[in-house]
Amino acid sequence: MSTPPQPEQLPIPDLAAGAEASKPLEQQDQPARPMWRMVLQIFLQNKLAVVGLIIVVFFVLFCFIGPMLYHSNQVLSNLRSADLPPGSPSHLLGTDDVGYDELGRLMIGGQSALEIGLAAAAIATVFGSLWGAVAGYLGGWVDAVMMRIVDTFLAIPSLFLVLLLASIITPTEGLLILVIAFSAWLGPARLVRGETLSLRTRDYVQAVKMMGGGNRRSILRHILPNAIGTIVVNATFQIADAILTLAALTFLGFGIAPPHADWGGMLSNGTQFTSNGYWWMIIWPGLCIVLIVVAFNFLGDALRDAFEVRLRKR
Amino acid sequence: MPILDVQDLRTEIAVSNGAVHAVDGVSFSVDRGELLGVVGESGCGKTMTALSIMRLLPSGGRIAGGRVLLGGEDLAAMSDKEIRKVRGKRIGMVFQDPMTSLNPTIQIGRQVAEPLKLHTDYSAQQINDRVIEVLELVGLPQPAKRINAYPHELSGGMRQRVMIARALVCDPELLIADEPTTALDVTIQQQILELIDDLRSRLGMAVILVTHDLGVIAGRADRVAVMYAGRIVEVTDTNRLFGNPRHPYTEALFEALPENAAETGDNLYSIPGLPPDLVTPPTGCRFAARCRYATDQCRSEDPPLRGDIAGHDYACFFPVGDQEMQVATQTHQIRRHDTGDPRARVEIDETKPLLQVEHLVKTFPVTAGVVLRRRVGSVSAIADVSFTVAAGETFGLVGESGCGKTTIGRHIVGMETADSGTIRIDGTEFTALRGKEKRQRQRDTQLIFQDAYASLDPRMRVGSILAEPLTIHGVGDRASRAKRVNELLGEVGLPRSAADRYPHEFSGGQRQRIGLARALALQPKLIVADEPVSALDVSIQAQILNLMSDLRARHGLTYVFISHDLSVVRYLANTIGVMYLGKLVEVGPAEAVYNRPHHPYTRGLIDTIPVADPWASKARGDDGVRGELPSAVNPPSGCRFRTRCPFAQEICAREEPQLRSFEGGHRAACHFPLEVGTAAGSRISASA
Amino acid sequence: MTGYIIRRILQSVLVVVLVSMVTFLLTDLLPGGPARAMLGPRATPQQLQDFIHTNGYDKPIPVQYGIWIDNIVHGNLGYSIKLNQSVGALIADRLPKTIVLMAISILIALIIAVPLGIYQARRRNSIGDYTVTSLAFVFYAMPSFLLGLLLVLVFSTDLGWFDPTAPQSGNVGQILAQFNGLILPIATLALITIATFSRYMRSSVMENLTQEYVRTALANGAGDGRVMVVHVLRNALIPIATLLGLSLPSLVAGAAITESVFNYPGMGYTFINEAQVRDYPVVLGFALVISVATVIGSLLADIAYAALDPRVKY
Repeated sequence: MSTPPQPEQLPIPDLAAGAEASKPLEQQDQPARPMWRMVLQIFLQNKLAVVGLIIVVFFVLFCFIGPMLYHSNQVLSNLRSADLPPGSPSHLLGTDDVGYDELGRLMIGGQSALEIGLAAAAIATVFGSLWGAVAGYLGGWVDAVMMRIVDTFLAIPSLFLVLLLASIITPTEGLLILVIAFSAWLGPARLVRGETLSLRTRDYVQAVKMMGGGNRRSILRHILPNAIGTIVVNATFQIADAILTLAALTFLGFGIAPPHADWGGMLSNGTQFTSNGYWWMIIWPGLCIVLIVVAFNFLGDALRDAFEVRLRKR
Repeated sequence: MPILDVQDLRTEIAVSNGAVHAVDGVSFSVDRGELLGVVGESGCGKTMTALSIMRLLPSGGRIAGGRVLLGGEDLAAMSDKEIRKVRGKRIGMVFQDPMTSLNPTIQIGRQVAEPLKLHTDYSAQQINDRVIEVLELVGLPQPAKRINAYPHELSGGMRQRVMIARALVCDPELLIADEPTTALDVTIQQQILELIDDLRSRLGMAVILVTHDLGVIAGRADRVAVMYAGRIVEVTDTNRLFGNPRHPYTEALFEALPENAAETGDNLYSIPGLPPDLVTPPTGCRFAARCRYATDQCRSEDPPLRGDIAGHDYACFFPVGDQEMQVATQTHQIRRHDTGDPRARVEIDETKPLLQVEHLVKTFPVTAGVVLRRRVGSVSAIADVSFTVAAGETFGLVGESGCGKTTIGRHIVGMETADSGTIRIDGTEFTALRGKEKRQRQRDTQLIFQDAYASLDPRMRVGSILAEPLTIHGVGDRASRAKRVNELLGEVGLPRSAADRYPHEFSGGQRQRIGLARALALQPKLIVADEPVSALDVSIQAQILNLMSDLRARHGLTYVFISHDLSVVRYLANTIGVMYLGKLVEVGPAEAVYNRPHHPYTRGLIDTIPVADPWASKARGDDGVRGELPSAVNPPSGCRFRTRCPFAQEICAREEPQLRSFEGGHRAACHFPLEVGTAAGSRISASA
Repeated sequence: MTGYIIRRILQSVLVVVLVSMVTFLLTDLLPGGPARAMLGPRATPQQLQDFIHTNGYDKPIPVQYGIWIDNIVHGNLGYSIKLNQSVGALIADRLPKTIVLMAISILIALIIAVPLGIYQARRRNSIGDYTVTSLAFVFYAMPSFLLGLLLVLVFSTDLGWFDPTAPQSGNVGQILAQFNGLILPIATLALITIATFSRYMRSSVMENLTQEYVRTALANGAGDGRVMVVHVLRNALIPIATLLGLSLPSLVAGAAITESVFNYPGMGYTFINEAQVRDYPVVLGFALVISVATVIGSLLADIAYAALDPRVKY
């Protein structure tokens, strides 16, 4: 054949793409930007995402570095300094009914919120995603059985499931993580299964079959990486939800026994004094919960947008 | 005075880095009763032109300049309220995909009635009568019963008829049809085009038909405007355009059509490169970068749209074709640039076929029922199909969607298991193989997908994609695989740097090259190509077809080429098999099947394909395959084609015709095969 | 569509059976075994022995399950020693109250959220849209107990407009008659629900506005208002019906906490109180009934979905 195949130039850029991509392939020296860098870039253009990120970083510093700089007694009660309003000397945010310093207590309480929230969300996401991917990919009876199990636990409202479990066990931080994860994995399982159902019919997954590749390769190399957007976005929301569940649990008295501190417990304690006008016992822990949950929701929303912009390029 | 007069229309779409000049100074006019064809490849601005007339631009789009005069009134300058009174009343519009263009949750009767409700003061009864009348006009059977149907309950062709009814219900002066048949099967396409043509003459309205397919235009349009990069590059009456194209782009489009090279078997002319980026259009002629005749003048100066004779304008300093030719009488003869034959057999041993498909049967169950999903029927996807493919040949498998051609392809590469029948490669059957031999067999056959992009994992770099088959089969180590990836990229004409990139960074044609490279990675004997070029523009399609024949020669490959497009198959294949509803109805040497078909379906299919030749299109009349494809759940008894066959007799319903042999390995399954004397292009009378 | 509904009902029955099994198996997990859990810590060994024998807890597990189911079918859900009342009677009193509270709240939420979502989609990126979105984020992140407390602080403690606690006694009718005490719990639940639903409605409408059938309607000469009301609204509501079914478990949980905050004598309030004192007959019986109610609710949402979408055939 005398006509050599002629490589075309790079495509016209997608309407949303930058000018850089329009250069012919040969003229671009740098290797292509990996996908996650593009996602990060779009993510950082989103103002809400940056706000969310700042809040999360602030709380991590506040809860874990804060206590090293700001010392307060959170073990022994001191009734002489009880019920102090914010602005009192050496108690910037006031004290509670047994004299614990509110600011210091918020820091300690935040530790368990962040630790349990992150850990529970991580366990739930990993386990749920695998469960959903396997069910969706294999289909048939396996899928039916696996998904009826999910339906069953989903039918029992998570708070009741968690309260039931929490009433049986004596809560420790580790057990609370497991209890919250136990009800939280259902969401990602359902979500990832749905995604897998559509991904498994894609030609590139079919191509693996054609080449003789196994199920493991299809699920781990193709389906899960392509569902990563859904998974990551959901994981962010899972953290927010886990923190909320924890707050509800501790608010209702199913938390770790005192002197362990947590925001939900502080709030619950504060409710006894609403009629006394001790608003600070409710506002501070409430504000912390709302801020951190809003922050993770901002992150999740921005991540979803970032992944979707990426998806639009397909 | 023309009905529509578009003057220097400019449309821009805002994007993050500026504005796409999607329509950049377009002028044309349409007269009463005239059908104007607007052709061009994707991204040329043809759809944006159509949407600009109706002011239905996507968000971010705006008309930046020019006038759109409808009966002297400027649509571009109207208020929103005024333009709403034009839409649906004076101009009707039909879009590409009737499924998504109709509201899925509203009955079709109410949708067709919408323009009447908006633009007339008809009573409910009058509206109902008119809806039924217009549905009857567009050929929807039993319209009075169907008005309560939802769009998903109709077939694609019927949905498009409903769309047309909705556009015509207020008797508009102008109908704009934007790729109205692109989403439809070829036999249905023919019926819809005929309908539009027929309605135009009956209602005396003007029509603008926007399409990428020169064949669709050839037999129907009075005049044609060719668009490229947001501009009209050539406009004239249809015969002149096809007989004497003056713009090099128009000429190149013709030369890239496989049907024009089928007789000679020459390599196709492929336009190099891609259309320009319309955010910053190049100075000078926009086609210059891809034009074989371009000079420095073309690259710096903008050629005006003008012509040597009245009624034939082109935007080129160095027009091709003949200046003096006034009346064209036949389609432009194409100069060929080389003489390679894509069908040249590499090395064929007829006695030892590479692929033997014997009595292949596959049915997919249709289940229903509440608790136990009992089987209520089955889709007969492949019904006893047998054929053989010799080593080194290209076997083309054609048929409409749902005929089972793709399912056969999937069986050949081992992605599906047949209910019965055998598929042998080199004499061994796949299902009999275990372990190592089975893996070897998987290496021997590879599939190329229709949608190359969908077949490439978007989260993998091209290097990993190409190495994946090697990894799965444990071929070589990391270093040798990387080397092989480079080789493969070279084979398909992509630079080495492509290995570090992701699929979304490539164009459609480049992605199909990557798909080809992956198929080649394991050095297969047989490649099944499932509609590999049907998603590509004509010029890119030519590049891929050339590459495929090139690779075949170099590696001694055998192809099974699956397509709905008979002209592409005819260009590439040595042998053609025609499928209808799970049956192989005709098989034989390509030229014999195409020029002397024995099966009425093949004949009808050939008559139905739009060819880019106005004389041939008009000469062959309107006979195509009638009616709609029956359901494969309960296929017709006897001959499955009998419900649409003009020659069907009582025996056809009773007895299933077997494939019988004619001259030279040509076989067809028909009780009343067509005589060999029936030459291509002649009509078959339905009363025969 | 009938076929679809029947299949969906059978699926729900299966889930209910599985839920009952899970609940039953949980009794085995109870500390000290089911007998100790049911009779309380002060029961004598002889009482325990008798209980085990009469309730068949010495029989094989499947037989035990059979007996348990038989009891439930006959309305015998056990007896709460702590409340000195049969669980069945307790449920008969509490369930209607919870259903009334949730139904009113969800109805109000839908009436507000749907137009709000439409407004946001039509005026996207306007100041109004941003305001609503920000508020939705805050309410979405706010635990229901915190929102309830804040409403009490403002509208009850400070302004004195509404009662801080819900009406305590009487049947549903009598409770509804004391509507002043219902306003804050309903507002709490409705606000949180609006936050979720308006966000989904907004994106659902926005997505439908980009569909091609909208372009067809415009090409017919339809105006924006007609496009919204005739074409987009129904299509946009379809996913909301699914969302309603999917978010029912979390709505039930939110209702439980709200009940607890306002001492509203419904299922959730009772459940939480009894879980705190480990009154297992009540906890298990309630968990079962709440789960079944959730399954039925989801089923109704799915039927609504099928009714809205003509494409669902079976």
